[in-house]
Amino acid sequence: MENLYLTIVLAPLVGSIVAGFFGARIGRAGAHWVCILGVGLSAALSLSVVAGFLWGDLEPFNEAVYTWAVSDGVRFEIGFLVDRLTASMMAVVTFVSLMVHIYTIGYMADDDHNWPHESLAGRHSYQRFFSYISLFTFSMLMLVMSNNFLQLFFGWEAVGLVSYLLIGFWSTRESAIFANMKAFIVNRVGDFGFILGIAAIAAYFGSLDYAEVFAAAPGLADVEVALFGGVSLLTLIGVLLFIGAMGKSAQMPLHVWLPDSMEGPTPISALIHAATMVTAGIFMVARMSPLYELSETALSFILIVGATTAFLMGLIGLVQNDIKRVVAYSTLSQLGYMVAALGASAYAAGIFHLMTHAFFKALLFLAAGSVIIALHHNQDIRTMGGIRRYMPITWLTALIGSLALIGFPGFSGFFSKDAIIEAVGASHVFGATYAWVLLTVGVFVTALYSFRMYFLVFHGQPRMDEHARAHLHESPWVVTVPLILLAIPSIFIGWYAVEPMLFGDWLAGAIHVAHEHDTLAHMAEHYHGQWAFILHGMTMPPFFLAMGGLAVAAWVYWWLQRRNPDIDAELQRRAGPLAAILENKYGFDDFNQRVFAGGSRGIGQVLWQTGDRRLIDDGLVNGSARTVGQLAARVRHIQTGFLYHYAIAMIVGLIVLLTVFVTL
Amino acid sequence: MTFDTVNLIPVLPEILILILASAVLLVDLYVKEAEKGTLHTLALIGVALALAATLLVGGGERQVVLEGHYVRDALSDALKAMILIVGLLVFVYSRDYLRDRGLATGEYYALALFALLGMMVMVSANSFLAIYLGLELLALCLYALVAFDRDSQRGAEAAMKYFVLGALGSGMLLYGISMIYGATGSLALDEVAAVVAEQGLENLVLVFGLAFLVVGIGFKFGAVPFHMWVPDIYEGAPTPVVLLLGSAPKIAALALAVRLLIDGLGGLQSDWQGMLVILSVLSMGLGNLLAIAQTNIKRMLAYSTISHVGFIFLGLLAGTADGFAAAMFYAIVYAMMAAGAFGILLILSRRGFDAEHLDDLKGLNDRDTWYAAVMALMMFSMAGVPPFVGFMAKLFVLKAVVDIGMTWLAIVAVFFSIIGAFYYLRIVWLIYFDKPTTDAPLTDSGGVRVAMSLNGLAVLGLGLFPATLLAICQAAFL
Amino acid sequence: MGFEKFLFYCFAAITVVAAGMVVTRRNPVHAVLYLVLAFVSSAVLWLLIEAEFLGIVLVLVYVGAVMVLFLFVVMMLDVDLAALRAGFVRFLPIGGLVAAAMAVQIFLVVGPANFGLEAFPKPPAAPAEYSNTEALGLALYTEHLYPFEIAAVILLVAIVAAIRLTLRRRPDTKYIDPSAQVQVKKGPDRVRLVKMPAEGKVETP
Repeated sequence: MENLYLTIVLAPLVGSIVAGFFGARIGRAGAHWVCILGVGLSAALSLSVVAGFLWGDLEPFNEAVYTWAVSDGVRFEIGFLVDRLTASMMAVVTFVSLMVHIYTIGYMADDDHNWPHESLAGRHSYQRFFSYISLFTFSMLMLVMSNNFLQLFFGWEAVGLVSYLLIGFWSTRESAIFANMKAFIVNRVGDFGFILGIAAIAAYFGSLDYAEVFAAAPGLADVEVALFGGVSLLTLIGVLLFIGAMGKSAQMPLHVWLPDSMEGPTPISALIHAATMVTAGIFMVARMSPLYELSETALSFILIVGATTAFLMGLIGLVQNDIKRVVAYSTLSQLGYMVAALGASAYAAGIFHLMTHAFFKALLFLAAGSVIIALHHNQDIRTMGGIRRYMPITWLTALIGSLALIGFPGFSGFFSKDAIIEAVGASHVFGATYAWVLLTVGVFVTALYSFRMYFLVFHGQPRMDEHARAHLHESPWVVTVPLILLAIPSIFIGWYAVEPMLFGDWLAGAIHVAHEHDTLAHMAEHYHGQWAFILHGMTMPPFFLAMGGLAVAAWVYWWLQRRNPDIDAELQRRAGPLAAILENKYGFDDFNQRVFAGGSRGIGQVLWQTGDRRLIDDGLVNGSARTVGQLAARVRHIQTGFLYHYAIAMIVGLIVLLTVFVTL
Repeated sequence: MTFDTVNLIPVLPEILILILASAVLLVDLYVKEAEKGTLHTLALIGVALALAATLLVGGGERQVVLEGHYVRDALSDALKAMILIVGLLVFVYSRDYLRDRGLATGEYYALALFALLGMMVMVSANSFLAIYLGLELLALCLYALVAFDRDSQRGAEAAMKYFVLGALGSGMLLYGISMIYGATGSLALDEVAAVVAEQGLENLVLVFGLAFLVVGIGFKFGAVPFHMWVPDIYEGAPTPVVLLLGSAPKIAALALAVRLLIDGLGGLQSDWQGMLVILSVLSMGLGNLLAIAQTNIKRMLAYSTISHVGFIFLGLLAGTADGFAAAMFYAIVYAMMAAGAFGILLILSRRGFDAEHLDDLKGLNDRDTWYAAVMALMMFSMAGVPPFVGFMAKLFVLKAVVDIGMTWLAIVAVFFSIIGAFYYLRIVWLIYFDKPTTDAPLTDSGGVRVAMSLNGLAVLGLGLFPATLLAICQAAFL
Repeated sequence: MGFEKFLFYCFAAITVVAAGMVVTRRNPVHAVLYLVLAFVSSAVLWLLIEAEFLGIVLVLVYVGAVMVLFLFVVMMLDVDLAALRAGFVRFLPIGGLVAAAMAVQIFLVVGPANFGLEAFPKPPAAPAEYSNTEALGLALYTEHLYPFEIAAVILLVAIVAAIRLTLRRRPDTKYIDPSAQVQVKKGPDRVRLVKMPAEGKVETP
């Protein structure tokens, strides 16, 4: 089994290395073939692992493959933990990644136009892009398949690095560089908490292995750390680790990087900033469920953060005009839903939503990308409209994605979102009611912004210029095939997975839920098959809110807009200060820019001028370098070149040794 | 004595090398001047066969054969394999240089192979006699190789110095051995160890002999103040010989130290620990200081060797199994880095021109990106910059020293290695930020690029994944 | 004091004095001759401890062969002794100091305290039929076979090294190749007929 798992992880890495280092030699086709083969192999094997768990008798695997170092009894290992949770993640990651790889062939086909003429960075950018996304797949697999915190951290940082590289892929664009810097720095804040959490685990548990830590956790449940007047150790660890998750999964207030990350090429927005990497935090918390279950404070914290993000970010989506940014804020909001599920101890629901979201959000992004290609990299939805007629496949798949997103009954998102809201409603941790209200209202917002975008882009009168309209046509098959392949699970995966994932024993061994928190078990008592679930869902407020949102969107952006094409701008004018707050994204960006960025630059300036230049450069570094240089120039005269000097030096050395150790 | 052929199986690698060296001498008589490349191939095959044999007969229980003179254990397996691997690199790197200067004769290959044999004998020695003879075999080959370019005045001078000082050094070693023989009545390491354990520090003759042994070891390693030969020989000898002399023999010297100090005189640890502390501090200090003042890169690398020897001694003097393993790790790693660095110098040299000055490295990046990267990698690694393996090696020896409570020594070591970082990074600076002084093409053919790439990747890869090599080293001192 | 002991002290003194002379003599030939003396007297010391074979080999090999060769070399080379000895007096104080320090250290350890008769009692004399040579041979070819073989390799290396460093074929030296001489055949090898075109008519002025 070890070899199988190693192959799954390493196949994308091989593809990445070949495409990255030998890209110039093997050409564009060579690069995309080798990467697609690597990821394809990985995807096929991952699916076979899932099949093994589903129908075969595959047992969970937990073994170290390589011991990197041993220090004071703490083993630093590379190892795999492959259980059903991991297998689900592997399948999602590799499948979406494969789709994105194929899609990229079409999307990046004329990437040369995105670079200044004759720019060095633009040489072989196509191969470089493939190398990066394969490297991302490798890193993400390392993250999800890890059986210890060290490797988790490696994968965590590696996906962060690739994300940084890809957001700034078009490195000649000012805005792209700003965005990737921002993403990197904001993630540093999260990672700081994350690594402190890991350090606390290493310090108190003396091990980095999941199984050992989980086994020892109940014994340490009552330990308190003398911090802020005594905090439970597990709360501290839980919150610290979750701060890492807040960075990676873009929860408020560390969410600011994700909308800007849309500066990267659309395929990676789909893969990294919607389907997989940003869900790493969700996965991590679910994987750590044995720790979180022991700290209700941490759960409560998670629940409140998630619900707040879900609601507030959804609102911003209402006023965005960039097609990718609308989807990005939708991603933020949906991530909030998943996090809220974790806070309610409905880990399985979080993971379930993660999976369905991965498919339909990747689908929405890729559909958006398809529109963007067709419009020659124009992303403003105010200048779109009526595209339905020109791009039927893109239209249909985007509709499916939107329906899944708002939780239309029967579509995959319906099952997962409903489960989350119900689980939160059934939860008793502090803040559960607050969260339930926000999440429920959020459903309305989701439907509204989703269908606002949908109607503005695909329906109504075409608002693009004549030239663009003349060239409007459906994208090539490398783009549409992934759309179709992603649309299928967007519709059906919820129907098939709801029972085993939420109410069955699919995640039984991987996720641990304390009895008193077990909201899903409570729901399971009332579960009587998919039809019953749907019918029950249709009597609940979220359904009516979703339909209401859909109806409002249809009325305003379809019905009213026929008469008044500027309805959107007019509405925003009327909303006045409310729209302004949303436009400014609640002021997070400005605050960060002024206080944190400006402040640290100021401090840096001072330290640089006085500390670094005067003290360290002139005094310590240059001063000591001069001293050493002079000393060396003097000492070198020892080496005279005369043989008898050498011989006498040896003999004197011997005599010194004899005198010190024998005579004295 | 019954002469059991099974006895000879552990000795197979040595026998193969001996046969191949003799075969090279004979074949040399029959091949024409234009076909001397055959000898190169033959030597490579020989070393590869010996390597295969080492791995084949290696592993398993400790075996002592040939009336107690020869031992095969985990230590000897690992060190021999590494010596042979470095030997392979040496042959591959130096081929073009030797051919261009008409030095690729049978004698060169025979002497180099005999030198490898000498190292292997040292590694597998289980008696003072075998150690001494292996040492002499190695030394004699090296003296001849240093003077190998008969037209070089500097080579002759260097060989002369090396020979006289070497004779002095091995004379002292021999005197020490005779003292210890006098005190214990045996030349076999295990018997000596038994007597030493019994008499310990009370017997002054043992300590007296030990001082001489340490001098011999110090000379072989090139530790201050027995280092004076190192810079002159490195500068004077042909670069391929420096490559051979500066890499694998460090591994053999480690074996020498381990066999003598640990296997033989482990009971006198408190004494040799003190001696090694002195040598180690002096070596790290003087080596790093003097390297800064050099403009000749071969001399600079010579002083760098001296400073690295100080670090190897740190691991040895810790006196714990972890310390020995760290020293072994360091010696192996150093041999690889030195092979890479001198290999680059060989590539930079061409007919009638030897790359010797720091200026010759200027702008290497503009001439060949890959070699520039490998050289930079070697320099970073030697300077001890993570994640390269040189950092790991330093880390392990420092940890060993800290573990026995000699934190001050670790601080001294770190201090000197910071000074040392300067001259390594200066080379990186020259490679990347200066304009080349010449645009002459680099001489490399066939396997050189492959071997150099493997060498570079090993330095990087072992830095990222040091556990395997470290486990091998630790297994040698269980 | 037995006769053997008397002999030992005599020859030991001769050895030491001769060794001192080797270092201090101005004339290199004299120095070599003193070295011969030192060897001969140490051969006697070998005999005294019943190592007849080694004693005789010392005389045969060192005195008979090596030293004679040495003598030839010294006589044939024009050694500039003045230059060699230039620093002798200048470095004598420091050299003497180092030597004295060394000697003191050695005397402190290598004295009767550690190497006296208690530590090393005289071994029982060997019986009359005991053959020194045979014992040595047995030890060499059985117990010390491995060192013996390595020593053989060292000698081989010495030969290779010596040949490499000294033997060189100068392109300008003329030498006779006997095998080529022998293989000369009658006819074309010995006589070569050269056909030349007739000179044209020479213009006479």
